[in-house]
Amino acid sequence: MNPYQVLGVAETATDAEVKTAYRELAKKYHPDNYADSPLADLAEQKMKEVNEAYDMICDMRKNGGASRSTYSQSSYNNSGYTNTSFPDVRRLIKEGRLDDAMQILNGVSGTGRNAEWYFLMGMIFSRKGWTEQAYSYFQTACRMEPNNQEFMSALNNMNARRHYNPSGYNTANSSGCSICDVCTTLICLDCMCDCCGGNGCC
Amino acid sequence: MVFGFVTVDKSEMLGKDFDAYKAIYCSLCKQLGKEYTFLSRFILSYDCTFYAVMALSLEDSCSGFCVGRCKFNPLKKCNYLKSNEESLSKAAALSIISVYYKLVDNIADGGFFEKLYCYCLMPFFSVWHKKAKKKFPKIESAVAQMSKAQFEAERDITCSIDKAADPTATMLSKVLQILTDNEEKRRILSAYGYFLGKWIYLIDAANDYEDDVKKGNFNPYVIAYGDDKASHIKDINASLDHCLSECLLSYNLLEVKRFDRIIENLLFYGLPKKQKSVLYKENEK
Repeated sequence: MNPYQVLGVAETATDAEVKTAYRELAKKYHPDNYADSPLADLAEQKMKEVNEAYDMICDMRKNGGASRSTYSQSSYNNSGYTNTSFPDVRRLIKEGRLDDAMQILNGVSGTGRNAEWYFLMGMIFSRKGWTEQAYSYFQTACRMEPNNQEFMSALNNMNARRHYNPSGYNTANSSGCSICDVCTTLICLDCMCDCCGGNGCC
Repeated sequence: MVFGFVTVDKSEMLGKDFDAYKAIYCSLCKQLGKEYTFLSRFILSYDCTFYAVMALSLEDSCSGFCVGRCKFNPLKKCNYLKSNEESLSKAAALSIISVYYKLVDNIADGGFFEKLYCYCLMPFFSVWHKKAKKKFPKIESAVAQMSKAQFEAERDITCSIDKAADPTATMLSKVLQILTDNEEKRRILSAYGYFLGKWIYLIDAANDYEDDVKKGNFNPYVIAYGDDKASHIKDINASLDHCLSECLLSYNLLEVKRFDRIIENLLFYGLPKKQKSVLYKENEK
């Protein structure tokens, strides 16, 4: 493995460039982005490669400014839940057996349909790519149990994805100047005028 | 499949990338002419050009370009890909097959003149469709299943947004998966294709919203939000944004060998711009 290739920089790149490239990639593959995603394992693998490459370059350059501060593998093991009403369903979702999981949940009726039931329904739909339904199930789960960390983080992740803005690009207001710009320019000009001792004229 | 929404944003593109994109477009046109006679060239679409871009980006080698003459305008010289027949052939087959099933759909539920028009075209497409099916049975079965599933989904008057978009999404997921044998890449392409397909279906539904309300046609957004598009525009936008986010997340994991800037142009600028112009009726430029 050529660590420079992994980071996408030339071997002649400065320490700062290496660091910037590393940061970019770490941001791209960060486990937070892929929480609840079926591709999470692939992202984790990428992240590991990038971390290793960066460590290698740092070792090679030793006294350079690039300090070893690789992102740690985030603690994304969803085994954090303690008391679940649906251990089987959670296992099936983990194994990717979505239809079976769905069947069990559909068999639950009335009061059995607690917040976790809605959350897990959301999980199944999310895995299937049925994002709209998933979103509404997550919302219901959070409404029923607003203090549940697991449900909340799933909803937050989804909220982030429902706003697409790659690389901060915005088609509106990309050019031209607003009223604010005009005002600031006038104020600046006025100040400059005052400096030159031109009073009264502007 | 719906046509015309998957376009690049030229103003955000480097000249050389646009030349490459154009060359792929012209090569696909040429391939259609070669495999399915001159007439079939008229069905050339940007969506299938994008499929060709994806196919080429995953191939092991790329032959580079050469100069040739355009069949429609003999005075014009175009760039063409030197070889890479397989990728272009797949894209040509997808073009033929998806137009064929569109005709089948229109004959089933179109108006009188639409039906008449489709009947006239059918003899040609039946022959071409057979040929494409023989070459790429997997592409054919993916589109055939989509057509069938779509028909069934549209019969359900309570059909959800997700359910309505599922057939198109699944189809694109399948046709992209056949571009590689690598298991990891297949998983990535499966998710990537699913959400791209979902976006394509939903942007078309958003585009036809008013029209479908008027004519009483099937439209999942109309089922979900009634005839009140204005107050749900944010929800519609969020559902489309969600698709693009998932698309980009999958794409980031995919290692493509070339044309990455074309694909990124599409994901970063082309599709979001299109979405904005459809939802907020902004003038495109």
